[in-house]
Amino acid sequence: MSLSVNTTPDIKEAQSPTSRAWWRFKNDHWGITGLLVVMIYFIISLGVWFGIWGLDWSQTSDAFHQPPSLDHWLGTNAIGQDIANRGIYATKVAFEVGLLVALCATFLGTIFGAIAGFKHNSWIDSCLLWVMGVLDSIPFYLFVAAMAYAMSELVFAMHLAMILVFWTETARVVRAEVIRLKHMEFVESAHAIGQQQVLILFKHIIPNTSHLMIIQATITFVAAIKTEVILSFLGLGVKGGISWGLMIAEATNDIQAGYFNNFIVASGLLFILVIAFNLFSDALQDALDPKLNK
Amino acid sequence: MNIWQFVLKKLIGVLPLVIGVTLVAFLLMVYFGPDLTYELLGKNPTQQDIDNMRSYLGYDQPFIWRYLDYLRELLTVDFGLSMMKDRPVTEMLAQSMPVSLLLMLPGFILGNVLAVMLALKATQHRGRWPDKSIMTFAVIGMSISFLIVIIAFQIIFSSSYGLDWFPVRGWNMKNAEDQFSMTLYLYYVTVPTLATLFVSLGYNTRFYRAVLVEEMNKDYIMTAKAYGHTSRNITYQLMLKNAMIPIITRVMFSIPLIVVSGSLLIESYFGIPGVGLMTYDAIVAGDQPVLKAVIGLTSVLFVLVLLVAEILYRVFDPRIDSRQVA
Repeated sequence: MSLSVNTTPDIKEAQSPTSRAWWRFKNDHWGITGLLVVMIYFIISLGVWFGIWGLDWSQTSDAFHQPPSLDHWLGTNAIGQDIANRGIYATKVAFEVGLLVALCATFLGTIFGAIAGFKHNSWIDSCLLWVMGVLDSIPFYLFVAAMAYAMSELVFAMHLAMILVFWTETARVVRAEVIRLKHMEFVESAHAIGQQQVLILFKHIIPNTSHLMIIQATITFVAAIKTEVILSFLGLGVKGGISWGLMIAEATNDIQAGYFNNFIVASGLLFILVIAFNLFSDALQDALDPKLNK
Repeated sequence: MNIWQFVLKKLIGVLPLVIGVTLVAFLLMVYFGPDLTYELLGKNPTQQDIDNMRSYLGYDQPFIWRYLDYLRELLTVDFGLSMMKDRPVTEMLAQSMPVSLLLMLPGFILGNVLAVMLALKATQHRGRWPDKSIMTFAVIGMSISFLIVIIAFQIIFSSSYGLDWFPVRGWNMKNAEDQFSMTLYLYYVTVPTLATLFVSLGYNTRFYRAVLVEEMNKDYIMTAKAYGHTSRNITYQLMLKNAMIPIITRVMFSIPLIVVSGSLLIESYFGIPGVGLMTYDAIVAGDQPVLKAVIGLTSVLFVLVLLVAEILYRVFDPRIDSRQVA
């Protein structure tokens, strides 16, 4: 006992899984760096949300293709719009897409995955598995294109399509975990004292899948942001605003004329956010994965 | 249960999936899709023209008949004429599928072979610097958007700002004597392949490393070590062989995407006339016959691959059958 305390002084046997996970995460320098960078992006998009900065993103001027200067920190584009403002506003758009898709997809995935797992081997489980199988079989970009085609008037066609596709992965993960959990003693004892099925599922089983929900939400967030950029570039994504994808689409014309500002800013912002989120997500997975809890 | 009974059982089991996939494609493309009546008609149509067009498009038919009609189109691979090009969709597909295949194949093969090799290297040196540098590279590859890689590689390899070695756009395999030319092929395929490779390597390497690490932690590896087999022997003769099932699965499930859908992004950006560009043009123009053909065919092919995969597992590893619980 004393030996184990000596070798790992910060982890004590009695600590809860949550504090052990936090301890592991705290010691993952790359994960902390990732989290910090994500927080900076989040503050930037909050600022746009509250109207503090990034509001003049669509303002045109006669200063075309300016290099970076004090007036325009990152230069201007072909019709004299300030690239820094556009990049900042697009950060908000990216966060909106990422958060909306991640929250909805995780919510749907958890609920349906938990129900399927709880009713394992029943017709409900088979039906849900069938729906997941169908959605997984349709190639993703084609599905989104089809959605955008079918609901071309709807602003949220892209978001809806991403949610519909992304929830299945979470549902599969949660379903597998619920199948494992429902044969454990604490669930059996809840059954034994006569608690209602619904209560057992929502009070005892779903809270025990929260670590999976967090991990899946971060994975979905990154996927949503990356997908948004490609869809917007193809003209299927964000409508009536600016996003990194639209900036890159603009930039393809600038590049032929030898102006790289727009491209570098949009892709740089995207790359830094995605790599930071990936590092954060990896660290979370290492910290929360109970397989490593031994 | 003999193998034919097994195949039959799987075939019946996969039917609901086929129905579901085609139903979704049908609902999105045909049933809820935009009304095409007026797009196809000329100016000032009479009521008679409108009625004729509506019955030609099948709008006066009940739901189930229209769905069955779509199934018939899929079965006979006959989707009628493209709305924009006035050519049979099947003919367009037959022309663009080989292009997509030629374009995607080198990147696909290299991407998987190199990823397995890198993953092996990383697993052998687990936790030390080769592992760490390979995995850092993988995370970077995963984090760069495909779009950015394509544009950046085009600037580097194909533009006057970079090396200017390869063409920016286009696709031409035939030389002056109208014969397939390897030099021309390499000339056009190199930059798209490099871009595909760069992005897929990251994902593939991470996946294969996870598979190999899991395999390495199993008891039989420990036993083999205890018996004094060389680590080379263990890696290539035992571990890799046993890790083949997840590796082959991943490869197989990529096949429908390569055969039918090509790459929307690469083909539209490099102006290569494959299925991807055809789909992209159809999306932009709202060309419904092309879209429903591509989506329907890719999805059905995906389900078929699923079926073949399950049958192959059974053939190569008879234990799979008894493990089928979920």
